[in-house]
Amino acid sequence: MHFTRRTFTLTSAAFALTLAAPALAEETAFKPAKMTAFVAAGAGGGTDNFARTVQPMLEKRLDTNITIINLPSASGAMAHQRTAQSEPNGESIEFASSTFITSRAAGQNPIGLDQLTPVARMQSDVLTLVVNTEKYDTLEEFLTYAKENPGEVIIGGTHAASVDRMAFLGLNDAAGLDLAYIPYDNEGSASANLLSGNIDGMFNEISAIQGYIESGEMKPILALADERLEAYPDLPTTVENGWNLTFGNERGVFINAKTPPETIAIIEAAFQDVFNSEEYQAYAKSANLHVRPGFLGSEDYRAVLEENLAYFEKLLSLK
Amino acid sequence: MIEDLIGGLGVVMQPLNLLILASAVLIGFVGGALPGISGVILVVILLPVTYTMEPTGAFMLLTAIYASSVFSGLITAILYRAPGTPEAVMTALDGYPMTQKGEAGKALGIGILSSAFGGIVGTIVLIVATPMLADIALQFSSPEFFALAVLGLTVVASLGGNLLLGLIGVCIGLLIASVGLDPLTGTARFTFGSLHLMSGINLIPVIIGLFAISEVLKRCQEGDIHLSTKSFKIRIFDWPVIREIRGTVARSSIIGTAIGILPGIGASTAAMVAYSETVRWSKDRKRFGRGAPEGVAAPESANNAAAIGALVPLFALGIPGSGTTAVILGAFIVHGLTPGPTFMTGNSDLIYAVFVGLMLVNVLILVFSKPFIAVLSKLLDVPYSALGPVIVICCIVGTYSVQNSMMDVWLMLGFGLAGFLLEKIGFPLVSIILGVVLGPIAESELRRSLAMSRGDFSIFAERPISAILLGLAVILVSATVLAPMLQRRKLRKTAAKQS
Repeated sequence: MHFTRRTFTLTSAAFALTLAAPALAEETAFKPAKMTAFVAAGAGGGTDNFARTVQPMLEKRLDTNITIINLPSASGAMAHQRTAQSEPNGESIEFASSTFITSRAAGQNPIGLDQLTPVARMQSDVLTLVVNTEKYDTLEEFLTYAKENPGEVIIGGTHAASVDRMAFLGLNDAAGLDLAYIPYDNEGSASANLLSGNIDGMFNEISAIQGYIESGEMKPILALADERLEAYPDLPTTVENGWNLTFGNERGVFINAKTPPETIAIIEAAFQDVFNSEEYQAYAKSANLHVRPGFLGSEDYRAVLEENLAYFEKLLSLK
Repeated sequence: MIEDLIGGLGVVMQPLNLLILASAVLIGFVGGALPGISGVILVVILLPVTYTMEPTGAFMLLTAIYASSVFSGLITAILYRAPGTPEAVMTALDGYPMTQKGEAGKALGIGILSSAFGGIVGTIVLIVATPMLADIALQFSSPEFFALAVLGLTVVASLGGNLLLGLIGVCIGLLIASVGLDPLTGTARFTFGSLHLMSGINLIPVIIGLFAISEVLKRCQEGDIHLSTKSFKIRIFDWPVIREIRGTVARSSIIGTAIGILPGIGASTAAMVAYSETVRWSKDRKRFGRGAPEGVAAPESANNAAAIGALVPLFALGIPGSGTTAVILGAFIVHGLTPGPTFMTGNSDLIYAVFVGLMLVNVLILVFSKPFIAVLSKLLDVPYSALGPVIVICCIVGTYSVQNSMMDVWLMLGFGLAGFLLEKIGFPLVSIILGVVLGPIAESELRRSLAMSRGDFSIFAERPISAILLGLAVILVSATVLAPMLQRRKLRKTAAKQS
C-alpha cells in the first residue's frame, strides 16, 4: 500500500512537470513578474503558515515574486472581495480555508463561487470530536450520556460560522442528538475549557490535538471520515455509524473567476507540483496535515465546495 | 532544575545565541516604539526567518522580540502620548504629563526599571511554577473571566476626574466594542452593511486616534511649542525615586504575572488593573493623571510581567495566553514540536534555554534602553511643526499595517478628531479604552457562562473565584462612591459642632 502510493505520487509529480513545463514554454501568456497572494486569515494561523510555506516553492516554479497580504477582516470576506475585484490576469491569488464556505452559508460573505474559482485544494484536515478522558472513554459512552441528558452536553468550537459549528449541527442532525454549542474566540480557549472539564467536548482538527492525545488528557472519539485513518485504526468514523459527515477544515487557493482558463491551468499545475514535492510533504508531515490526502484540482475542488455549501446552508436552516 | 538552568545558560552563552538575543532585543525596541507595529506583527514577520534556524535559537529569538516589544511601547507613550503598543496606553496617562512637566528622563527611567523588574518577576515565576500555575489558570473559565472584566471596569470609579463623564466614556467604549459580528451567534451588529465593519472596530485605531492624533491636533492649535525636555538625562537607578515606587512595582508585577497567566486575558488588561489598584492604594489619588511616578511604574511592571506570564499556559499546556503567544504556538508546530501537556518534559533543553534567554533579555533591556532612547530623543530637538507630521505618518502606516485596511485609517483619524474635541471638555479618554478592551470580554464571557449554566445566574455565586472577584468589585465600587459621601457628612457634622 505504502509503496504503491509513493510510486503514484512520484509518477504524478513527473506527469505534472511534463505538463507544466511545455505549457510554460509555449504559451508566453502567463509569465508574471510579480504576484499578490491575499490570505483570508490573520498572520500566524494555520492558513497563514500554509501560504507562507508555499510562497517560496511557488515563486521557484512560476519564476516570479509573490507578495503576501493578510486580510483577516470580516472572517476573510475582505480577502475574497479583493481577489474577486482584482485584475483577472492570474497575478492575484487567494489562500483561504473552509471559512470561505461556512461564512458564505451563514450569510456573512457576499462573494460566492461565481466570483471566485477554486484553483486547487492543498490540505484536507480531518475533523474529530474530542472529549476529556475523565468524562468519556468511548463514542458509545458519549452517545448514551448525550441521549439521556438532552441539552446538557456542551460542545465547544471556534466562532459561530466555522466548520466546528457545522460539524456540531451535522452531528445533532444525523445522530438525532440535542447537544449545546458554545463558540470561543480561539481554539486555545476551547481547549482550556475542555481540559478543565467545563465543557464536554469540542470539534478540532486532528493536527491540533496531538500533544493532548499523547498525554492522555484528551481523546478523539469520532472522526469525520469515510474510512478509518491509517494512523488511528481504533478511531470510529461517522460513515461507519451511518452519518454522512466527511467534511473537514480544507485549505486551498482561489482566483478571480474571470481569469482565462489556460492561466488557471498553469497555476493549478504549479500547485500540484508543489504538493508533490518532498519539501511540501515534509511540511505537511511536520504539521500533521498528511492524515488525509489533500490535493484536489480545480474542478474536483469546486464540486466538493458546492456540495458542502448546499449542505451547510441546509444545516443552518434547520434551527 | 538548577542543572537544567545551568545547561540552559550554557546554550544561551554560545556566541551565536547571544547575538540572536541582542539583535532580537533591538528589533523589539524598534517595533515596539512604532505605533501600530506590535509584538504580534514582529513575530510574524520574523517567523519565516526562523524556519531554517534550529528550534532553540528560533524560540529564543521569538520570545525575546516579544518581551522587548512590550517594553518599548512606553517610549513614545511617554514622549509623545503615542503608545507604541496597546499595552502602553495606561503608561501615557501619567508618563506624558511628566514629560510636559519636564520630567521625561525621570519617567523613562521609572518605565525602564519597572519593565525590567516586572519582566524578571514574570520570568522567575515562569521558571519556578509553570506546571503548578497552569493548573490553577485552568480553573478560570467564562464566569471567572466575566468577573475579572467587571473588576477591571470598576477602575473607572478610581480614575479620578468626573465620574459621570467616566461612565459615559465606558458606555461609548462598550458601544464601539459591540460593532461587528456577534461573537456567539454571528449576527451582524451596527455594521450598516459594510464589510469593513463586520469584524468590528480594532483596538489600535481607537487607541492611536484618541491618544496620539488628538495630541498632535491639540499642539497644532497651540502653535509650535518646544517641549521643555530638549535635553534630558535618564537615570534608571535613582534611589529616592525607587524608594517611592518600590511598593507599586512589587504589587503590580505580581498582579501582572497573575493576570498574564490566564489564557485570553492580555497584558493591556493587566496594565489597567495594576494601574487602578495603585490608585486605590495611594494616599493621594489626585496626583494620578497629572504625572505621578507610580502611574508609570504600575502599568509598566504589570504589562511586562503579564507578557511573560502568558508563556506559562503556552509551555505547560500548549494553550496560548495572548495573541503573540498564539503565533509562537504556530511556530512550534512548524518546527515539528508538539505543544501540549507533555511539551515541558519532552523538550526541557529548549525550554530552559528560552527561560535563561528571557532572563537575559530583561537585563539587556536595562543595558540597551538608554542608548536607544538617547537616539530616539534626538527627535525632540526637531521642531514640532516637522515632528507632528512624522508622528501622523507613523500612526497612519502603523494603523494600516494591522489589517491592511484603509477603513482602519479613516476610523483612526475620526477617533483622533473625537479625542481632540472630547479632551477640550476634560473627558477622561482612557475610560473609552476601558470599555473597548474589557467590554467584549465581559459580554461574551457573560453569555458563555449563561450558556454553561443554561441561563442560571447563580453560576457566578457558586464558583468561588468568580464570587470573590465580583464581591470585590462591589465592595470597591461602593467604597469609592460612598467614601467621599461619608467624608462630607463627617465634615458637616464637625462643622455643625463647631458652630
